Amino acid sequence: MKKLPLILSVCITACLSLSVALSSAQAASPAEDQKIFQDFFKKKFPDIKEAEFANGVYAVDSVGRESWEAIEEFPPYEPVVDKGAEMWKKPFANGKGFKDCFKEGPAIAGKYPHWDKEKSMVMTLPLAINNCLEANGEKPLKYKKGKINNILAYMAFESRGQKVNVEMSDDPKALEAYQKGKDFWLAKRGQLNMSCAGCHAQNASNKIRADVLSPAFGHPTGFPVYRSKWGGMGTLHRRFTGCNKQVRAKPFKAQGEEYRNLEFFLTYMSNGLELNGPSSRK
Amino acid sequence: MLKKILMIATFATVSSFSNMTLAEENADSLKTAVEAAKTAKKAAATVGGEWRDIGKFLKKAKKLAADGKFDKAVKLAKKAETQGKLGKAQMEGQTNLEFPSYFTK
Repeated sequence: MKKLPLILSVCITACLSLSVALSSAQAASPAEDQKIFQDFFKKKFPDIKEAEFANGVYAVDSVGRESWEAIEEFPPYEPVVDKGAEMWKKPFANGKGFKDCFKEGPAIAGKYPHWDKEKSMVMTLPLAINNCLEANGEKPLKYKKGKINNILAYMAFESRGQKVNVEMSDDPKALEAYQKGKDFWLAKRGQLNMSCAGCHAQNASNKIRADVLSPAFGHPTGFPVYRSKWGGMGTLHRRFTGCNKQVRAKPFKAQGEEYRNLEFFLTYMSNGLELNGPSSRK
Repeated sequence: MLKKILMIATFATVSSFSNMTLAEENADSLKTAVEAAKTAKKAAATVGGEWRDIGKFLKKAKKLAADGKFDKAVKLAKKAETQGKLGKAQMEGQTNLEFPSYFTK
């Protein structure tokens, strides 16, 4: 009679172990995801050197690349970088400046985005810039267009050559944010029922109407960008907004949780590539 | 003559009364359709699945109603409701996603 509970407990233990094994087999770790992601693009484009993916669509669009290289001879973002340098130097009303918030200097784009354990959220560079302004009694900048691009362009320019190196925290909240970003990237949304992955992985280098779709590997390296379509500069979250609108989904708030988590995932996927912002795009 | 005037007056009163009823009916059906659309819009937004044009449809429906085009306004509000429901249904189950099989083929 005493054998029954023993058999039962062995069965339960075995079942639990099996379910844990199965669930861990189903959910890939961020590092495993990164390998799957990067290998996919390397296999899809075997003739493209890995570093080239930092050039976005121009890694796979030879026609577009010709005009892009010509544009880059006189970069449209150059005056914006200069304005950003002035912003960096100009003291706030209280006499302090950006250098007091970012003590390591302007070349810190490679440190963002990162998991802020204290705040339990993904911290991005635009958010850190506005936190700095607000902490010093200044008005925060808008997150998509305008002056934020000046300071971001200057900091990106100073950070050129750094490698994307998003560190994945073992904080369960960080992993949750990462998974939410991954879900966002993979989920089909909007009236057109399209996902980021569908366009920028499965169909990367294919045409959508007259435009060549860029590969997602390297997407965040060049921001902020001067976009010919915009006739001006824009942040990464401005681009996310545009993509969502194109598939007829209601975009989310720039620097809201959804886009910060997406940036966290997407940038982690591009670890190892060089930062080359600011840049120009069609 | 008096009989004729009375008949016209009666007809005018009845038709004005029935017009008022029709206007009220229109307003009621539009109100119901807009409320249903707003509920569906909110439900879609809660799961992050709101579609781009729902808000636009509702604004346009309001304008159409102001111009007296109730049928078109109701139709548009119902379209907004449908899109809200579809947006919510689309997002359901899209959590804890893994890379699709084409990534590893």
